[in-house]
Amino acid sequence: MAEPSAAVRSFDAEALPHLDALYRVALRLTGDTSQAEDLVQDTMLKAYRSWRQYRPGTNARGWLLTILRNTFINDYRRRKLEPIAMDLEAVEPHALYRAVEEVDPEGTFFSRIVDDKVLDAVDALPTEFREVLVLSDVEGLSYAEIAGALGLPLGTVKSRLFRARRLLQAALYAYAVEMGYIKPREGRHE
Amino acid sequence: MSEPIDCREATLQLQDYLKREMTPELAEEMRAHLARCRPCFSQACFEENFLRLLEGCAKVRCPEALRARIVALLQVEAEQG
Repeated sequence: MAEPSAAVRSFDAEALPHLDALYRVALRLTGDTSQAEDLVQDTMLKAYRSWRQYRPGTNARGWLLTILRNTFINDYRRRKLEPIAMDLEAVEPHALYRAVEEVDPEGTFFSRIVDDKVLDAVDALPTEFREVLVLSDVEGLSYAEIAGALGLPLGTVKSRLFRARRLLQAALYAYAVEMGYIKPREGRHE
Repeated sequence: MSEPIDCREATLQLQDYLKREMTPELAEEMRAHLARCRPCFSQACFEENFLRLLEGCAKVRCPEALRARIVALLQVEAEQG
């Protein structure tokens, strides 16, 4: 095998460490392992081909995630114009904390829910909420990094994250009630 | 020293506080409020337990076969110039 060129070496060093994060985000966006693999592969090829546009030492993860997300929107979304079922900014789910503060104020029931169930609930969120929540709370990106990757104003990132968390908490709470991890407030007769 | 923050303000700021995206001064105020206010402290714990659950979902890794395929494809790209 030939010696890798300097360009490949610098791309390898900067981009390959982010493959795990790219794959996880691709899985959440596509909801399918084989599509996620294709999306990551396409992303890495596109990134390599535009590697000259990347400034070394800046945020490679954010740059790669931007390419991944744009590739997903352009090539992978089954319906290009997914109908938005609700006014995203108007969703104001009630704070779950208010519902559990008497029975489980610190939310210990969360720790009983297995990862697969958490991910199922994440996947059920509308895309616009899911992508912000995954980038922030699974991958640990800052507001500014998310705003850059998704092309959204910072304020929109913050409000979507707020609403995404509320929606997810409500879904996980419903699951926890179903599994008997927590007693619903209404169901108690004392 | 400014007015200490109240529960309403603490609830509004909780997301930024837990994301560690606020000024050190405001973070210090939040810590002080959470230390003296049990309901707000509980709510912060609740959100932290929720966030820990999501952080735990970052265990999935890129399959080795995919990694190897990408490395090989990049090498081919490089050779083609």
